[in-house]
Amino acid sequence: MEIMNNEKNVPFEDYLKKLEDIVKKLEEGDLSLDDSVKLYEKGMDISKICLKKLDNTKQKIEELVIKGEDKYSIRPFKINKEEN
Amino acid sequence: MNKDVGIIIYSVSKITKYLKNIFNNDSILQNVWILGEISNFKLHSSGHLYFILKDENSQIRCVMFRGNSIRLGFPPRDGMKVKINGDINVYEKRGEYQLYAREMVEVGKGDLYLAFEKLKNSLRAEGLFKEEHKKKIPFLNKKFAVITSPTGAAIRDIISISLRRFPHLHIMVVPSLVQGASAAQDIAQKIDFLNTYFNDIDFIIIGRGGGAIEELWAFNEEILARSIYNSKIPIVSAVGHETDFTISDFTADLRSPTPSAAAEMNVPDINQLLDNINALRDNLKRIILRKYEKKLERLNYLDKNMKYLSPENKINQYYQYIDEFIYKLNSTVKNTLKSSEEIIKKDLQRLETLNPWAVIKRGYSVCRKLPEHSIIKKLKNVEIGNHFEIIISDGKILGKVDKKEENSNGNNE
Repeated sequence: MEIMNNEKNVPFEDYLKKLEDIVKKLEEGDLSLDDSVKLYEKGMDISKICLKKLDNTKQKIEELVIKGEDKYSIRPFKINKEEN
Repeated sequence: MNKDVGIIIYSVSKITKYLKNIFNNDSILQNVWILGEISNFKLHSSGHLYFILKDENSQIRCVMFRGNSIRLGFPPRDGMKVKINGDINVYEKRGEYQLYAREMVEVGKGDLYLAFEKLKNSLRAEGLFKEEHKKKIPFLNKKFAVITSPTGAAIRDIISISLRRFPHLHIMVVPSLVQGASAAQDIAQKIDFLNTYFNDIDFIIIGRGGGAIEELWAFNEEILARSIYNSKIPIVSAVGHETDFTISDFTADLRSPTPSAAAEMNVPDINQLLDNINALRDNLKRIILRKYEKKLERLNYLDKNMKYLSPENKINQYYQYIDEFIYKLNSTVKNTLKSSEEIIKKDLQRLETLNPWAVIKRGYSVCRKLPEHSIIKKLKNVEIGNHFEIIISDGKILGKVDKKEENSNGNNE
């Protein structure tokens, strides 16, 4: 299916926007039942991608350590509660 | 006083009282006028004012009690240059000397404030604050970076609020100085570094928690403003409290009143998103169901109409008409037939009574002349010697006329 392509690269909010547009189109459009059903199915697919995307990212709190003009490393960040 | 070891030892309270006495009796420290800039200004709910009066090199703690502060003709604020009249004395509880202000007069605007205004105006004229240059802070998709002190309250607030709103989150902390002479340059360099080496950062938050105006000063420096302006990655400026406005705030793509607000404003709330998506899904289902129902209703309506108008219906109607017609016809014919039958029956009955055979059966007979089989009714119908037959109920008798005799009265018909 067309919407499944590049799923990873398309930002979440674009999908959400698409979903909102579909609902709007369905709500106000004088579409044939056939087209409505097609649109409905597309909407449901997109909503599933949205839900999946929300669940996709892993929690990561990192600290960037700059070691020079062009060198750096990344390590887990620990919140220091003693100071301040 | 303790003379055991040969020297005088004072208690803290005693020595503090002694100092207070010195202040009290000093002719300069009582009823003195001091010129300086207000900083760290706090209006306590009691109506007392607490602040620091300072110049380039020194500072002195000040308090103005409510009885004096209500007579002020202007609201003091940070950066304001003022002349203050009052007494300098010791606050025994803390062992600090402070200026007990009685009177305060505004003296032009503070130097820092002037510098700030000057830079702000020149950068504005150059176009660094222009709306059309500002990038939209993108919806968070991958990760964001925070350039701030790794040990400050700001980073703790940002992380905890962000994770509360969106647990599956990628945050990169970029430790930096946030106050002092080299802070502005440090932050600027880190913005440049992120722009050079990272392409997966949705936005950068720069900022720090609240503090005196000079503690926030790094965010008023030109070098940082230029780095913010040149950053390809959108920048959120989140410096100090809601009332603090810095050059960074004006230059950044978005100003957040506080670091906490930066997280609130830019990290999506996952529950809200889920609600939103689920509401949209419900809408989809509801709309499509309604459409189905509408079409179904229309279909039923059309189906009914079709049946009514269909040739089949017409034919059926004709059938019915024909059936009715036939029924009528039948009953008419039946009635006619019935009455005819009755007439015929009567006629037959009448006929029956007239049947000559019936008479014969009752015992009468018929006589016919042969060979003609003509009924002999009168004497003149036969001659002597003619053959005749007598028909009776069970057969016939053949004979020959021997003699003819006329009735005596001659009238028996």
